[in-house]
Amino acid sequence: MTNNTGSLGAVDAAMALTFSLDGETFAVPVQHVREIIDPLPITDVPNADQVAPGLVNVRGAIAPFIDLRHRLGMRPAVLRETSRILVLELTLEGEMTTVAMLADDVDDITETTSADLETVPDLGVRWPTEFIKGVAKKDGALVILLDVQTAFAPKPSH
Amino acid sequence: MNAAVDSFVEEATDILDGLEKILLELEADPTNTGTVDAVFRALHTLKGSGAMFGFASLARFTHPFENAYEQIREGTAKVTPEIIQLSLASRDHLQRIIAKGPDAENSDIQDPTSLKLVEKIDVLIADQTTRNKSTGAIRAHSTQSQRFLITFKPHESDMRNGMRPDLLLAELEGLGEAHVTCSAAGVPPLRELDPTVCHFCWTIELTTSAGRDAIDEVFIFASDSAVTVTPLAPDTIDMAISQPAPGMERNAIGSGRMLKSDENLTAAPPKSDSVRVQAHRLDELMDQLGELVITQARLNRISADLDDTSLAETTEEIERLVTGLRDATLSIRMLPIELVFGKFRRVARDLSAELGKHVQLLTRGGETEVDKNVIDSLTEPLVHIIRNSIDHGVEAPDARLSADKPERATIVMQARQSGGEVLISVSDDGAGLNAEAIRQRAVSRKLIDEDQEVTDEQLHQLIFEPGFSTAEAVSSVSGRGVGMDAVRRVIDDLRGTVEVKSQPGRGTEVTLRLPLTLAIIDGLLVRVGNNPFVMPLSTVEECVELPPDETARQSGRSILRIRNKLVPFLRLDTLFGFERVENDDRRVVITSVDGRRLGFVVDEVIGQHQTVIKPLSVYHRGIEGLAGSTILGDGSVALILDAAAIVKRAQAAVRTAA
Repeated sequence: MTNNTGSLGAVDAAMALTFSLDGETFAVPVQHVREIIDPLPITDVPNADQVAPGLVNVRGAIAPFIDLRHRLGMRPAVLRETSRILVLELTLEGEMTTVAMLADDVDDITETTSADLETVPDLGVRWPTEFIKGVAKKDGALVILLDVQTAFAPKPSH
Repeated sequence: MNAAVDSFVEEATDILDGLEKILLELEADPTNTGTVDAVFRALHTLKGSGAMFGFASLARFTHPFENAYEQIREGTAKVTPEIIQLSLASRDHLQRIIAKGPDAENSDIQDPTSLKLVEKIDVLIADQTTRNKSTGAIRAHSTQSQRFLITFKPHESDMRNGMRPDLLLAELEGLGEAHVTCSAAGVPPLRELDPTVCHFCWTIELTTSAGRDAIDEVFIFASDSAVTVTPLAPDTIDMAISQPAPGMERNAIGSGRMLKSDENLTAAPPKSDSVRVQAHRLDELMDQLGELVITQARLNRISADLDDTSLAETTEEIERLVTGLRDATLSIRMLPIELVFGKFRRVARDLSAELGKHVQLLTRGGETEVDKNVIDSLTEPLVHIIRNSIDHGVEAPDARLSADKPERATIVMQARQSGGEVLISVSDDGAGLNAEAIRQRAVSRKLIDEDQEVTDEQLHQLIFEPGFSTAEAVSSVSGRGVGMDAVRRVIDDLRGTVEVKSQPGRGTEVTLRLPLTLAIIDGLLVRVGNNPFVMPLSTVEECVELPPDETARQSGRSILRIRNKLVPFLRLDTLFGFERVENDDRRVVITSVDGRRLGFVVDEVIGQHQTVIKPLSVYHRGIEGLAGSTILGDGSVALILDAAAIVKRAQAAVRTAA
């Protein structure tokens, strides 16, 4: 499946997982998503960057916990019943890294085609546009496709 | 590359490593016949197996060198410094040839480096041998042609082991005029035919001037095969009637000696009962073991919760087994440090020759065992240290003489185990560090203030500061410290420490302290606030109570008196920016780092914990004071503290505050 979407994605359509953060709907390409699990206890890492404030135990492997809300300038998360942890696999600084992030809710898997995507106008959003690949309309609502490489980068580019 | 070629490359690499060592030994003691034999055997094995696995150019290149050492063995040539130099260069070249992989089919191109080296060795040996009359005589004998009848039947397993009869036959043909007949008499009916066995046998009538030895050499790696070599009466009139006796004698001596060297050859590789395992398989084993240790911790916890006697017994039993398995697995990964030390004899030799200094490198404690991953990372920092010693520490010969020192400098590399650590020191008897130059440099780099009082000892450690010594200028001014920050970086990554001691005019000693293993450690589990942390037990000396008046003290003083010794301490919650939890019963974990004692205030000492170290991700790797993370029995994640780094961090904080 990964192969399939990967090759298609470059040209035309890509499957993306949508989730919500602070009322907005975001999407990440499904090939980066390893699993979706219930919230886990987080161990604080002292003196860490607020983007990666802690560690979690994902089935025996230790993964950094990424606070995407902090990076996007949102309010700190409040755990709800629908909250889930997304476990993503990313290549960061040339290294395969498994990271965990908290979403308020996980919605759906959706297909985005490059035709659907629009670039984000600089002033239309309150978060840095470099984290965003584009915006698509799905069933009348906006879906913000994240650029995982910049959104999860250990050191922000700006 | 197929598996056979891979294993040849591995073995050849081992042989070349050994060869370098033997050549350096030979340089020290040029008349030792045992060493000469060893060189010959190494070359011979390379040539033979190289040809067998398709490294034809390697075999061709090795041949003249093997010949040269044969001459030396026979006493018709002598070991000279030029020969050693050339042999070392050839060894390096062989390494390059092997790295290139097997030759393409039928390629006959010799690269220019090979040709040049071969020409040099030929000239060197020829020079010596023409001066030697008896050699001339023997060479004359060997030019006489002899006839041999050779029968050759490969052993059942030979084909499976990758032997190529065609190559052997081609090699025979290369010795002279060969008439080869093949017999298919041994081929069984198709039903019984095993296609992996060679059923043919060959008869070769060979007319050659190369002598019996050369034939034996062709078959040296076909020792399982049935080979007979029978000398025939010469059918040519080349051999003068007046000379039959010497010819026969040569033959007799030849085969006699060959017999002897045959014994040597079989005796040469010490019969080891070891198994070659690829490193990644060991890593996998280690990973699995790590998971097992973590699961074990969970089981312990469940067992404690359930409080069932039979479960507790079984759990204890499993714990004992897991600990045994851990120790056994860790010991597999331990290698003698001699493996790295060996490389440095060459580095020291080449560098001292290049710089015109006389240096001898002595190694001690090479049998000390260290984790393979540690060994792999050690080469680079040790090269830096030795380079520094020779380049900047050791004085020029005349300067040494006028300072009443022996002209030849001595560098000692020493390894020993101390508790959970391995200590590796490199000491020289050179000029020592120039404290004044370091001070100036440190002031200009703003590492210290101009009027700051710093002891020489503290000054010396500054050579490890990043950016201290990247500039060329420092080596000409202070005469020390190129790339020492790189050394410290590697050692830090290995969770080790490095320190330097120096006495002006007497020499310098750099000591590396490294953990025995990188994967699993015994740790002390503590709690700071609500967060669990693990401290490596190897750094912990003792735990004491924090006296209540110290908790209340606000004066900023943080020193404890333990058995009449003053020990400074740090509050981990302050250091980590945690909110302080009200607690009247704090503990201080006293650690010893680089011989200095320092206490860490924690809220609770939970107990000993076998800790599987998981490296931190790119997000957290740069945080000072954290050595990794681990999973506890209840599934939560704990961070592993790096006491040494925290001490440094605290000192830096004090420095900036002051």
